Amino acid sequence: MPAFTAAQKEHLQEQGFLLIEDAIQGDTLHRLQTTFDHWSPQFKEEWLEQIASGDTCPTWFDIPDPLFKDEIFVDLTDHPSYFDLIDHCYNGRSCFAGMSARAVPPWPLSYTGWHPDQLHSDALHLKVQVYIDDVPAQCGEFGYVPGSHKIDQATYYRSIRNDLMPDHITFPGKAGTAILFNSCGLHTAMDNSTRQARKSVIMGYYRRPPGAAASSKHTALAHLCTTPQRRSLFELEAA
Amino acid sequence: MKRIDAHLHVFAKATTEFPRQTDDLFPPEREEPVEKLLAEMEKHHVDQAMLVQMLGEDLKHHAYLRHCLTSYPDRFLGIGLIPPQCQNPEDHMDRLADDGRIIGFRLGTLGGPRDPFAPTDVRQFATYRIWQHAAKHDYVMWLYLQAVDAHLVAYMVDAFPQVRVVFNHLGVCPGVGKFSWDEKQRPHVDSPDFFTTMHTIHRLARYDNVALHLSGQYAFSKEPFPYQDLEGVHRYLLHGFGPQRLMWATDAPWIYEKPGYGALLNVIGELLPNLSEADHAAIMGGTAQQFLRFPQVN
Repeated sequence: MPAFTAAQKEHLQEQGFLLIEDAIQGDTLHRLQTTFDHWSPQFKEEWLEQIASGDTCPTWFDIPDPLFKDEIFVDLTDHPSYFDLIDHCYNGRSCFAGMSARAVPPWPLSYTGWHPDQLHSDALHLKVQVYIDDVPAQCGEFGYVPGSHKIDQATYYRSIRNDLMPDHITFPGKAGTAILFNSCGLHTAMDNSTRQARKSVIMGYYRRPPGAAASSKHTALAHLCTTPQRRSLFELEAA
Repeated sequence: MKRIDAHLHVFAKATTEFPRQTDDLFPPEREEPVEKLLAEMEKHHVDQAMLVQMLGEDLKHHAYLRHCLTSYPDRFLGIGLIPPQCQNPEDHMDRLADDGRIIGFRLGTLGGPRDPFAPTDVRQFATYRIWQHAAKHDYVMWLYLQAVDAHLVAYMVDAFPQVRVVFNHLGVCPGVGKFSWDEKQRPHVDSPDFFTTMHTIHRLARYDNVALHLSGQYAFSKEPFPYQDLEGVHRYLLHGFGPQRLMWATDAPWIYEKPGYGALLNVIGELLPNLSEADHAAIMGGTAQQFLRFPQVN
């Protein structure tokens, strides 16, 4: 039995997103929170130096290479709360594109504006955003324009005020909430007028082409890839 | 079409009449006089310009700038400097701006917390009094900030929506160790991170009181004029700020020799070839006329 319903699948296909509350719970959520908070300060000073040298952006912080920091981040990539649906959408050929373990500090503006990650095409580009802590309204919560994944989007929506985008919806949510979305659709982080940083993990996926060679990108994770599905996800073997 | 060069510098030989700071790069005998600029402006049909103070923040160091502004009142407006440790910045600003020809002040830092996650209270910023006074007297804030300050501007702009703010040189905020003087004694910024600029300064396009110079290309580009590697940056800034908040500037005198003052008249057309005539006219002078309130000239 798939861990998703036909209605959920249809919603993702038609609207371009699917909200999954309590996707991550209990011990897993606690591990995720403590791991995130453990690693963030270890790279803070390096990040501040990169800001001063003009080599990175000051409006968000990413834990470098999170997959290689702790097993919990690997476990997040194929969590059954959303991965069964993702893998179904890719006909069992889902492939891991990348992960950002991201903290966004408060700022008078959102750190980004409305944008698609790529122009509309037949290729499916799914992403999942998982909230590490509670993300109330006006705290940088995820925003999406339903149905916008189906049409070609110009890439210059960035300059308008995020709250003025027509027909958008926002996703304040509890820790552990996951939002699965088609990244060809217009999405953003809303403004953060609170004094609280927004912490989340953002993961991307794509469909692995038939006959693709094995990749060495994630070889160091091989010991954690104990199922065929995960070995395929990380391209440890030829397709 | 009225043309306004919205950011450049002049300076005189160091004399008792026109005292200024001197060093190896700017020895006392070096000068970039206003007459040289006026000749270039005449030759290339540039009507007016913004003279930006350099080589000294003290009141006395502004003597040549004030001389130029008084001598050619229809041609120039000015931007002054404020000493970093000034005990009474309000008085300093008012004394420089007393005749209305110096309309704003250039800042290189804001003096706030370096950590974007730190609690931020603009009243604790080292430049808060300057911004507060600018708000009271309608002075323009002229910004060429360091990278460490880039995220702080939004707090100031948010706190003082009535203050007109102009980002110099494509909104680039050079990082520590990235600024130098090249062999032609021109400013050079090594590997400016346009990604940082786009993601931080570009977000401020949302504020109507923020404008930006399309200038300084020579210092950032890895290519000769017309600096085609900066086309994407110009296009992106155009989409964010629009022609009504973008201003062309040459950053003379650094460009007199290469690519030459006249060549820079074409830089906007080269890097934004699809501009309408009206939009091109706005960037070349219309925006500066309105945003900076240059005097009408017959």
